[in-house]
Amino acid sequence: MLTTDLKLNSDHVNIVECHDLSLIRNTTEVLCAASCCIPRNSLTFIVGENGTGKSSLALTILGLLPGNDGLICLHSQSSREPVLGYVPQSIDFPKQFKLTVSEYLQYSAEVKNAEIETTLERVDFPLNHITSQITQLSGGQVQKLLLAAELYRKPDVLFLDEPLANVDNASEKHIIDVILEIRNQGVTIAIITHDWNMVSNYADHVICLNKNFACTSTSACLCKNSLSKVNIKNIQKVTPDPEHMHDGFCYIENI
Amino acid sequence: MFSISFMQRAFIGCLLLSITYGLYGMFIIPRKIGFMADGISHASLLGIAVGLFIGVNPLLPALILAAFLGFLLAYSADSHRVTSDGLIGIFLSGGMSGAIIIMAFMPGYKPDLFSYLFGNLLSIQNVDIYALVAFTIFSIIGFILQWRALVISTIHLDLSKVINLPTTQSKYFLFIGMSLGLILGVKLLGVILISALLITPVMTANQIATSFKSTFISTQLVGFFASFVGIILSYSLDLPPGPTIALLLVVIFLLSLLQSKLSS
Repeated sequence: MLTTDLKLNSDHVNIVECHDLSLIRNTTEVLCAASCCIPRNSLTFIVGENGTGKSSLALTILGLLPGNDGLICLHSQSSREPVLGYVPQSIDFPKQFKLTVSEYLQYSAEVKNAEIETTLERVDFPLNHITSQITQLSGGQVQKLLLAAELYRKPDVLFLDEPLANVDNASEKHIIDVILEIRNQGVTIAIITHDWNMVSNYADHVICLNKNFACTSTSACLCKNSLSKVNIKNIQKVTPDPEHMHDGFCYIENI
Repeated sequence: MFSISFMQRAFIGCLLLSITYGLYGMFIIPRKIGFMADGISHASLLGIAVGLFIGVNPLLPALILAAFLGFLLAYSADSHRVTSDGLIGIFLSGGMSGAIIIMAFMPGYKPDLFSYLFGNLLSIQNVDIYALVAFTIFSIIGFILQWRALVISTIHLDLSKVINLPTTQSKYFLFIGMSLGLILGVKLLGVILISALLITPVMTANQIATSFKSTFISTQLVGFFASFVGIILSYSLDLPPGPTIALLLVVIFLLSLLQSKLSS
């Protein structure tokens, strides 16, 4: 059975710790005894091939998937539960629900009327779409809107699923700057991505999920291989030890 | 017309139904379970038949049955094994079949049953109005408390859970409340056509509205207008109220569709 342990007033170096996490979805084992951590105030990337359980790991930490076994520890520096934020890769809004951009912000993040423009400007959202219905937005605009709402909620840990998947080149740089800015303001960010260049340029910490092969050596490790392709030079620590058999999971710290 | 007591009750009843159905419909339609209204109301015939058979107020067993079916629908809403529309279809056929079999044991003409099928202005009693007032108050308080959770969980369930909104609570409120509301409207509008007042005002509003706020206002106006004028026509032309209101709603919907096509 999965247990979530909340530790208040904790200055632990990791804001999230997963111990022996197991998850079975529709009789398929997605995560098997996975242990990993998300360091406080870090920009952590969750990477791996399709179907390795990246999104499932994030959704389990967020409490959206009922894990089958393991322990998730949330360390809060204050006396309240850490605020978790989540921006999915895409949302298929129901067509019969005529919510406008400003109404979405008001309902999802309780953004005040006077703050709607500044909230949207922060993520480079086109202000001429404030009164547009959310069903009429492009994929990139939806991602910006969702990000704007989550940023307004001031989360302690923000999970972003492929945040640059649908945005154009101009907005990509802007969103990366916003992500780095909020990381510097103390928000812990976990990004699910396939973009190894982004990982190599910005990662403080990488959680790499492998599947269907035993990562018995450095050369066989998907993470090591992929990171070496983009010239990551100083991978300081790989855990579990790549010299030992670890099927399905490893993570790399302190890039 | 307005001084006749049963007409006063009919107007008050329709006003309350259009308010509450408009609220529930705004969240039922985007979730693509508008068919729920037909399923629950038809299945409730079983409760009505049981009530008529054992000689108690038929609405009591129908309310109990509807609350149970609403609970089952809410419980299975996120299930991967049972789809909501499939379950509603099973309720509909199961309830109707049960009702017809029970009626087979009650020979002779059954005027009460026809009132429940098509609605009857004369059948509305003070107690029905009291029940509708209580249900309207319950619904409005429920919607005030659950509004944000209902809005966000309708567009994205995961987001509403991450924000820590009472998603499960709001789902049970929506499904059970809607099921009870359908039964309380059966006497006025009838089992066969009660879904018209739930579905059509929202569908009409969606043709003309440009925001969630304007959808809300348009839904309430369309529901209230059709109910009010429908009751007047029903009385003046001696027509059954359910079909009259339903037909009026269909005409308004078609006009809104035409207007929407022309303006686009």
